[in-house]
Amino acid sequence: MNWLPLVILLFPAVGGALLAGRGWRWPRPLTVIIGPGVVWLSFFAVLYGYWTDVNVDQTYWTWIRAGSFVLPVNLLLDHLSLFMCLVITGVGGLIVTYAVGYMEHESDASYARFFCYMDVFVFSMLLLVLAGNFVFLIVGWALVGLSSYLLIGFYYWRPAAVVAARKAFVMNVIGDVGMILGTFVVFLQFHATTYGNFGWVPKSDSGYLELAAFLFLVGAVAKSAQLPLHTWLPDAMEGPTPVSALIHAATMVTAGVYLVGRLHPIYDVAAVAHHTVAIVGAVTALFAATIAIVQVDIKRVLAYSTMSQIGYMFLAVGMGAYAAGFFHLLSHAFFKALLFMSAGNVIHAMDDEQDMRRYGGLWGQLRWTSPSFLIGSLALVGVFPLVGFFSKEFVLGAVFSKPDDPVSIWVWVVGFVTAVLTGFYTGRMWWVAFWGRPSETRPVEQPHEAPGVMLIPVLILALLSTAGGLVQTSALGFGTTLVEDYLKPVLGALAWPPSPIELIVTIATFAFGVLAFLGAYLMYVPRSERRAAFLDGVAEVAMAQPRPWSEQFPRLQALLEHKYYFDELYDFVFIRPLNWIASWGDRRIDRTVIDGSLTGVAALIEDGGAGLGALENGYFRSYVLVFVGGAIVAGLIVLWRAFT
Amino acid sequence: MALDAGTLQIGGESIESSWFLILAALLFSIGSVGILVRRNPLVILVCIELMLNAVNLTLVTFSRQLQNLDGQLFALMSLTVAAAEAVVGLGILVDIFKLRELEDVDDLSELKG
Repeated sequence: MNWLPLVILLFPAVGGALLAGRGWRWPRPLTVIIGPGVVWLSFFAVLYGYWTDVNVDQTYWTWIRAGSFVLPVNLLLDHLSLFMCLVITGVGGLIVTYAVGYMEHESDASYARFFCYMDVFVFSMLLLVLAGNFVFLIVGWALVGLSSYLLIGFYYWRPAAVVAARKAFVMNVIGDVGMILGTFVVFLQFHATTYGNFGWVPKSDSGYLELAAFLFLVGAVAKSAQLPLHTWLPDAMEGPTPVSALIHAATMVTAGVYLVGRLHPIYDVAAVAHHTVAIVGAVTALFAATIAIVQVDIKRVLAYSTMSQIGYMFLAVGMGAYAAGFFHLLSHAFFKALLFMSAGNVIHAMDDEQDMRRYGGLWGQLRWTSPSFLIGSLALVGVFPLVGFFSKEFVLGAVFSKPDDPVSIWVWVVGFVTAVLTGFYTGRMWWVAFWGRPSETRPVEQPHEAPGVMLIPVLILALLSTAGGLVQTSALGFGTTLVEDYLKPVLGALAWPPSPIELIVTIATFAFGVLAFLGAYLMYVPRSERRAAFLDGVAEVAMAQPRPWSEQFPRLQALLEHKYYFDELYDFVFIRPLNWIASWGDRRIDRTVIDGSLTGVAALIEDGGAGLGALENGYFRSYVLVFVGGAIVAGLIVLWRAFT
Repeated sequence: MALDAGTLQIGGESIESSWFLILAALLFSIGSVGILVRRNPLVILVCIELMLNAVNLTLVTFSRQLQNLDGQLFALMSLTVAAAEAVVGLGILVDIFKLRELEDVDDLSELKG
């Protein structure tokens, strides 16, 4: 039993190593078996741990012992890590299986390379959540960043993919530095390298504790693409779609939520940092939702939606509603992976076209993918009884009910507005891409539904997104609380009771979200393309065709299309000064001082060598003359010494 | 026998050791001047032998004068080295002669700086 964490880690590690070593020479069926197979084996090991209720903090050996610094190799498999492992290997297994179909057009070598990277990613992510000390946490943290880099840049012959990969890596390294500095603070001030149930966390707040909490928050913000380190996530959509589904929606980007949850004893005490988590989450949720309204690339809409939903998780854990945050993590893993994979099917059917304005009319043509995408969209909006309803309302309800906190009501307001915006941009995506008549510029007239290996994982996730909410129905005030109960030993219970009007608020959020979803229909489906049976019964409303607000507010449109000019701002503040300093250094320092000193030394040696070389004239007698002359001089010195 | 500094007993006769040393100095000088002025490689080798043996003569002289065998042992060692040196030197010369006509050692100046 104590070996279970190692066993869970072992499978994807071995799979990745095998594929890395020999995979490119293997026949494709072997890659197909090993690539997803090891993830599923790991999933079964996790399931075994779930059924036998494993709860171990196992130290295998001591890795480093230097004075007071002792670092054991320990893995922690408690309810929180098991929960995360279930998401990683379960959803991960589905997505890697889906990739078997999605990547089939690649060459054999690229195919094996893809599954190698995916297995390495799963291993790294499992290491991140199973680590029992800060050092292994950082190792996993950095390795998922590396896997993300490799997979975003998978199509390395595309310059855009390479640039996006580099951007993601640099942003993630900023976070890694925060993590490492936070670990230093924890070690120097609290003398801890392992979590050790966090007995070392002081009972009262202190500057150093806040510092450590803020430094870890930098890591969480970078990894989870929250403001202001968010700009890499939309660009990361350059990677293959299964990568976007697994790494940039379901698992890796939620690592920041896991970090805050795992370190919640620190954040419970460090009040300022804890509130900052909530505020960062709320601002990002709103910020990303507004940008999602104007995006035209279907994967980018989903990317901004992911940022926004992770913002929800951040505001939940930042407010202390940990179970709500982690339930939303689970639910988001289901429906966002579903959305990405359905979008992948659509992109596949549309000859790799990602601009959704060029889709249109897919409903009815993609018989399985369209309903799946609709389920994912409705879960994202938070429609009862899909999983997104229960998780989002759990988050917002818990935040709304939190007493004695000046921030909570504002965080709730932002969360509410974001929920309405979510309804709107999801509606826009759905109506534009799937409804109405096929676009005149659509690349494929009669799209083909995806093969079974790509459909079955999608359908399983559609089922989970539909029924998954039943494990935690506390948003309604009654029913099951399985997720909350399961995580209670690690995260503690919610510290406050639900407010009496919580249910009203829940219904209001739900209602406005759905209205926004339907409102997008009026805005984005032209009147001529509306189907009589749908909604047009409400004649007055249906006849309306509001002018697109992009025409009404062109400046707002431009602001959103440029994503609030964050890229331009970073370009102006960081990149251009760095380029300027670099080119100045190139001209003034590198070429003059450094090159000059090196060529100077070389020239000195060369000239000196030429001068000395003149002595070596090649004539034997001249050497002998020097020798004899030397002997005579030596003899004279001896004689002179002897006579004085 | 009383040790008279500067006198050697050879075949019942006493000879001043200075004569031997002067002879050695002359031989050495002839050898070194020969190396400097002659260009025939074989003659140069002969001159080197001459210098070596001048030194050997000094060693043996002092050995007799000081009644100490170290000098004679050293001379024997020096003879061995000289033999080896003659072998190597002549071997190199034979190889060079195989490659080309050599008029004097000044033709062998490829390694000049």
